[in-house]
Amino acid sequence: MRVTFHRLTAAAALVLAVTACSATPQAQDSNGGTIVVATAGEPDTLNPVLNYGVDGASLIFDGLVARDGRNELTPALAAALPDVSADGRTVTVKLRDGVVFHDGTPFTSADVVFTYRAVLDPKVDSTLRSDLDMLDAVEAPDASTVVFRLRYAYAPFLQRLTLGIVPATALQGQDINKSGFNRKPIGTGPYQVESWTAGDRLVLTANDRYFAGKPANRRVVVAFVADDNIRAQRTRAGEFDAAELAPKLAAGLGTVTGFTVHKVPTADYRGVMLPFGNPVTGDLAVRKALNTGVDRKAMVDGVLGGAGEPAYSPIPPTSAFADATVTGKPGADTATATGLLDAVGWVPGADGIRVKGGQKAAFTIMYPASDSLRKELALAVTADAKKLGIQVTPEGLTWDAITPRMKTDALVMGWGSPYDPDFVSYKLFGSKFAGEGYFNLGLYKSAETDKALQDGRDQADPAKRKDAYSRFQRQLAADVPWVFLTYLQHTYVVRSTVKGVQPRVEAHEHDVANSLWWNLHTWTKG
Amino acid sequence: MSARRTVGRRLLVAVPVLAATSMGMFALGAASPYDPAEQYAGAAAFTATDENLAQLRANWGVDDPLPVQYWRWITNLVQGDLGWSITRHEPVTSVIAARAGWTLLLVGAALALVLVASLLLGTVAAYRRGGWLDRGLRAAAYAVEAMPVFWLALAAITVFALVLGWFPAGGLTDIAADGVHAGDVAHHLILPITVLAVSQAPWFLLFVRDSVADSLRDDHVLAARGRGLPGRTVLFGHALRTALLPFLTLIGTHLPELVGGAVLVETVFSLPGLGAVTVQAALGSDFPLLAAITLVTTAVVLTANLLTDLAYTAADPRVRLDG
Amino acid sequence: MPRKRRLRPLSWLRPGTRGAALAAVVLATAILACLLVPLLWPLDQSAVALDRINQPPTWTHPAGTDDLGRDVAHRTLYGLRVSLLIGAVAALVATLIGGAVGAVAGTVGGWTDRILMRIVDTVAALPHLLLGIFIVAMLRPSLGAVILSIGLTHWLSTARIVRAELLSLRTRPFIDAAISGGASRVRVLTRHLLPHVLPRMALATTLMVPHAVWHETALSFLGLGLPPHLASLGNMINDGQRSLLTGAWWASLTPGLAIVVVTLAIAAVAAHWRDRLDPRVRAELQL
Repeated sequence: MRVTFHRLTAAAALVLAVTACSATPQAQDSNGGTIVVATAGEPDTLNPVLNYGVDGASLIFDGLVARDGRNELTPALAAALPDVSADGRTVTVKLRDGVVFHDGTPFTSADVVFTYRAVLDPKVDSTLRSDLDMLDAVEAPDASTVVFRLRYAYAPFLQRLTLGIVPATALQGQDINKSGFNRKPIGTGPYQVESWTAGDRLVLTANDRYFAGKPANRRVVVAFVADDNIRAQRTRAGEFDAAELAPKLAAGLGTVTGFTVHKVPTADYRGVMLPFGNPVTGDLAVRKALNTGVDRKAMVDGVLGGAGEPAYSPIPPTSAFADATVTGKPGADTATATGLLDAVGWVPGADGIRVKGGQKAAFTIMYPASDSLRKELALAVTADAKKLGIQVTPEGLTWDAITPRMKTDALVMGWGSPYDPDFVSYKLFGSKFAGEGYFNLGLYKSAETDKALQDGRDQADPAKRKDAYSRFQRQLAADVPWVFLTYLQHTYVVRSTVKGVQPRVEAHEHDVANSLWWNLHTWTKG
Repeated sequence: MSARRTVGRRLLVAVPVLAATSMGMFALGAASPYDPAEQYAGAAAFTATDENLAQLRANWGVDDPLPVQYWRWITNLVQGDLGWSITRHEPVTSVIAARAGWTLLLVGAALALVLVASLLLGTVAAYRRGGWLDRGLRAAAYAVEAMPVFWLALAAITVFALVLGWFPAGGLTDIAADGVHAGDVAHHLILPITVLAVSQAPWFLLFVRDSVADSLRDDHVLAARGRGLPGRTVLFGHALRTALLPFLTLIGTHLPELVGGAVLVETVFSLPGLGAVTVQAALGSDFPLLAAITLVTTAVVLTANLLTDLAYTAADPRVRLDG
Repeated sequence: MPRKRRLRPLSWLRPGTRGAALAAVVLATAILACLLVPLLWPLDQSAVALDRINQPPTWTHPAGTDDLGRDVAHRTLYGLRVSLLIGAVAALVATLIGGAVGAVAGTVGGWTDRILMRIVDTVAALPHLLLGIFIVAMLRPSLGAVILSIGLTHWLSTARIVRAELLSLRTRPFIDAAISGGASRVRVLTRHLLPHVLPRMALATTLMVPHAVWHETALSFLGLGLPPHLASLGNMINDGQRSLLTGAWWASLTPGLAIVVVTLAIAAVAAHWRDRLDPRVRAELQL
């Protein structure tokens, strides 16, 4: 009740303040040490165990390892990059000395063990367990050593060690799912949480005891503005030092002096999953025709406002594992596409829609109704398919309505991780995962692909891995279980006076953690 | 008709209606095709295995039979435990506690502004019926009535925040400010409060204008005029007072509209109030949060209605409330 | 008498003027256009043309093109069609519920009446938009959910009107005559009472249409309305909002104007109708 009363007094003060506040306060000049960034996605929780900042760069936490500006692994809470045994099943980590949590408790191996055991605990509502199914046990032989024991050798295991470490003392004996820690966490990272007003902002203050040195700025405010337009308007009004914006809106701000637009390359692709259980999309000729007949260039220019590039495979061109031979024409090659259809007997009917053996070349492309980008891509594919004589019906649905239909109806999907080709792809295209969860939705089954993906994760030798993923990409291009459309570029608008921005290839998932501000603690504002 | 009986009668209806509403909402929530485990996991659902999601469901008991779930929900509700928000990952009570104040402030201030402005302008318009002010106000009222609130809000942001730069385009406090200061909040809330007030004003304005115009023709007002009392005294002392009573009930019946407007205004101005979180909860099908917000808001509106009724009885003893 | 004329401000919204006729013509044109457009100018809901996105109004595209190169004028007509359809069906649903409740309360009377009216008062206290959001969120966003959410929250005024009308009719001599003549309750209701009540109900329904259209646009704006590639006015304004900042004002202006013009036309026609019916019901039918 007292809170309400204060707010009522605030209401009374409002009338008085109207006259006092006629000039817009330009607070950013007086607060030189504060950096304000704006993003659409607000985390549900700030606890790494429950999925916050799993890929590192979370500002509040550190993993055992981190990634640098080229996404190469560097030691963070580990003293050096972890040691992998010859059979690939034992990983030993020596921990950095003298690291303390924000509350002053020293960081030890017990915290690492606690963090990973919490993830594996079935009582904890963590979805990370699915990514760590190779992990058998975590042990701490002494205070500065951690040993991970794996069920099977897993080449990219070190990439999974970016998970932020939580202090055991703060969480021991609590119900982690409902702990207050999730909203006001304690980590070892460059910033500690001052306050989090859900739906509004997260306020962070510098951690002067940060092991990699004092952050260059005293305070960070992350503003959560879900709506694209409002975020753009507030950016233009000068409220933010950096903001992620939709490409077209960012382009509009690029002409305003005082802002720099960063188009950041990503591994974040969009494509159409074509189910094998559908009589039309199950036909290889139809899949190949669509793959050559879609106008990727028009999508990049028209839908993405130029912030993207055509996609032909799930491994981004920026990756060392990308096979340069797997490519295509950016524009629509309608002639080749119709030739493919003609050759196998798909002939145009009276209404212009092709028919083969009584089967009309018509199918549905579903898209999640809340995602305007996927909606626009679905419509663009629909228009391109029509030129080939294929009738596509777009349908905007919620995920629960999409789920039961995924085996027979096509779906616009988005994915992508720049860190390792095994991530996502192993489950997305492996026949073991056909029909499980959201993995291999189209029931794609190829012994070649399975073998290549398995080799990729079993082999420790980078050259052998590269070969395996080349085979994988070529097989995918031959079978076309997906029509890959575009890689996005995440677009950010940054105040020109901000120094130290170092874009790196980004993943599909990015909000507070893992965005352009992954190295925010080294940014300065002139 | 005593005040106590008024309260008693109101409660007699309100409690069953609230109970029925809660039951209806629960049935709808149970019939909903959404999987709470996937809503909880959000984007991570796509990388989680079926086994992983099944563990989550077992942890929450969402696979229990329906009556068991309803009983658990309603008994917790009555004890003040509104449940656990599956999209916000915190107790519903703390979501509401953190946000209700701002919504109350927004709605309260807008209501106050609407009342003062519509009483003043409506009375003047009625007094000078057919004058330019009357014509202008009525034309504006009809036009505003036809415009969606979010349109007004976007237009206000474009003009006052982007072109003129007088007010911030959204948010509650200056984004770089440390802490909440009344002046800062006021500066941020002027635009949303005004937009909400303007969007709700036509109703009130037209009502005041018409009823004052009618009462200006009432016998006692004509008599007062005939006695040679000055125009202003007749207008505010007699005509307005007659029109004021029905106006009181209007406030009560119009509160739900105001709440709906607040949802939209909060969304456009990215204010951390209940409205904005309702939309997020709806997009995430967060049943516990949605149901609690709807029930709490309804209870608040019912209470406010009761208060206006009591005020009405106090102001005019002739009124019988059991119509 | 010039003085008397000045007592009629906004004369175009008043009965018996050319204004009401104009509004009726506008409304009739809009409805006719909505009915005819699929025959004259069929729309491929999914047609996009990425080579002509965000073009300002020209002779070929009188209202410009949107961010996927679709003709805004064409889509506005379809949007109006969808929105008016939702508005009309939802208003009908609301009228049926309200009519039933009002009829029972007004004819049975006594305790039933009291209880029903108390329920009406209490339901009036439920915040419509919140309840609508709840219903749409729990069922999937779809045409049916939107119609249901509007229908279930907007039947109250109809219930009150029907009840009030029936109560006042019950005291009229011709009803007494019918009852003493041995007519059954059902027969009195259908033969004698209903014909008097129906015009009022129809008016209440008409007045509800703009409100229902507004409700649909609000839900779509919040992302809880119809599938987003469908041309509805709410979806179009929501999409057009994005283009507003890049200078393409035409994408949201035309659908927005369509809402305002049609709402005003319906309101003007209904106001005319209302004043001819009976000034007493004005309080209930306030716009």
